[in-house]
Amino acid sequence: MTSIDYQMLDKSRLKLVINGKLDAENTSRLWTQALRKVGETEPQMLVVDAAGVDYCDGAGMALLLQLQATQQRNAGQIQIEGLRSEFEQLLALFDPGKVSEPEPRASSFVRLAEGVGQTAVRLLQDFTEQVSFTGELFVKLLGTVTRPGSLRLTDTFLIAEKAGADAVGITALLGFLIGLILAFQSAIAMRKFGAEIFVADLVTISLFRELGPLLTAFVLASRSGSAFAAELGTMKVNEEIDALTTMGIDPVRFLAIPRVIAAVAVMPLLTMFNNLFGLIGCGLVMISVGFAPIAVINQIQQAVGLGDLFGGLAKTLVFGMLIAGIGCLRGLQTGTGASAVGDSATRAVVSGIIAIVLADGVFAVVYYFLGI
Amino acid sequence: MEGSSEPIIRVEDVTVAYGDSVVLKDLNFQVKHGEVFIILGGSGCGKSTLLKHMISLHSPVKGKILIDGVDIVTAEGSELREILRKIGVMYQNGALFGSMNLIDNICLVLEEFTDLPRDATETIALMKLNVVGLADSAHKMPSELSGGMKKRAAIARAMALDPEILFLDEPSAGLDPVTSAQLDDLILELSRSLKITFVVVTHELPSIFTVADRVIMLDKNTKTIIATGKPGELRDKSDNPWVRQFFNRQG
Repeated sequence: MTSIDYQMLDKSRLKLVINGKLDAENTSRLWTQALRKVGETEPQMLVVDAAGVDYCDGAGMALLLQLQATQQRNAGQIQIEGLRSEFEQLLALFDPGKVSEPEPRASSFVRLAEGVGQTAVRLLQDFTEQVSFTGELFVKLLGTVTRPGSLRLTDTFLIAEKAGADAVGITALLGFLIGLILAFQSAIAMRKFGAEIFVADLVTISLFRELGPLLTAFVLASRSGSAFAAELGTMKVNEEIDALTTMGIDPVRFLAIPRVIAAVAVMPLLTMFNNLFGLIGCGLVMISVGFAPIAVINQIQQAVGLGDLFGGLAKTLVFGMLIAGIGCLRGLQTGTGASAVGDSATRAVVSGIIAIVLADGVFAVVYYFLGI
Repeated sequence: MEGSSEPIIRVEDVTVAYGDSVVLKDLNFQVKHGEVFIILGGSGCGKSTLLKHMISLHSPVKGKILIDGVDIVTAEGSELREILRKIGVMYQNGALFGSMNLIDNICLVLEEFTDLPRDATETIALMKLNVVGLADSAHKMPSELSGGMKKRAAIARAMALDPEILFLDEPSAGLDPVTSAQLDDLILELSRSLKITFVVVTHELPSIFTVADRVIMLDKNTKTIIATGKPGELRDKSDNPWVRQFFNRQG
């Protein structure tokens, strides 16, 4: 078996005798031990007797080189004796010599300050890019409106089907459950005041004005916003976007406009599905609490006006544009590398949701002053 | 096909940079009508980057790039569109649109630039595919094609609008020698019969000697052009030992 022996020849000379196979398995056993011994004694001269080594692979070579490097660091010398000529050649081949040290890292405070600064600059750049992209999108949308022939109709319908029709199931389910939960929760509180019939008002108003548009927007952002980003991102990585550009086809007009139009078109429809199923959920709870169906329907009808419905639907147009626009922007911003597309998809969803919530806040203020 | 004719591309004092790091500086060269012009250089010297600047995907930090006398760095709108119409580009991996079959890939370009009816664009697309030997695969999707076929299809698409200049980014990269030689023959054939000017980025020696009228060689360290001329002359007579070494490696 592989063994290693230590002999102090005199005060300043250490001899290491290595016998047997120096393969990865044995070396891992010997490594710490040998280096510790050398570190403890700090010999002026280290003699390695390797005559007994009958096999030596990369790991064994690494041990010899490491011993050599340790000696150099401690201003000592090393002598490797008896190493077979074939191993000696290998050693010469592997010896990296003096390797340049990696640049020393700045202190943690400096790095923190740098990080904060870089992030701030990046956020600012990102914001300006979003603003200029929004502008570009509007100009080109306007161009599409004035010249409808330039819209790729087939693509737009396909995207609308994927983003809209295919999302009906999940939107309806979500709406139903939210209506159910909301009605159930508020019914418990309302019961204390004997005002259970007003659960219908509460659920209907919150669904029509806020929850319906918001929930649908979240569904669209996570289903389609990310899909747009991934699709365009992959095209970017494959140089397909470059190819479009050099063919004189504007990627924004060709890829982003159909997606934006499709998203804007399906958002109100999806929201209506969401609202409808939310009301069904609410109605179910109310009926099970003991109200007659006709009472529930009457209550719902007088709870909201057209203003509430259309106020909510108007928001969804803006949400749709934000989600699709941000998804496409993130896709077009995709960098290179395997993780770039995934990053873009994530960023599309995150910035999409942030944008939706911000826009919803703006709408709340505007509607308050308009008295809607 | 070389000689006295007017240059079709003029690159004047162009400096190319990514952020703060300069990749190539103060480049000056010309590409003549109808020649096969090759941009050479070691890995990472900025060949493909230079090509992307010549097709106006990126803007140089300094200098002019004139195609048919129009500076593509400053050109905008319809002027740029007019220039883009004159050029075709084959990207390294073809960059065919994955969601369309080959015919649609080509028809797309035709529909964008012309008012031709669909049956006309389809016929043109088939003609172009026939030139590169892919008429049989016209209705296949890009994912069904081999690497060499994708590149040929990309050339067919690049030729859709009968361009005056074709830019090819590493046409032989990742292809076996036989396929690569077929591609070289195609370049020569198109250059002869259609008088298309070719600008090719490559470092495959056999294809350089087969197709090139003239080459320029870029260098990573000096960030400039270190050699210009016919490949044969550079191999035998260049002053720069590294250039001679490069050409003698296989040639």
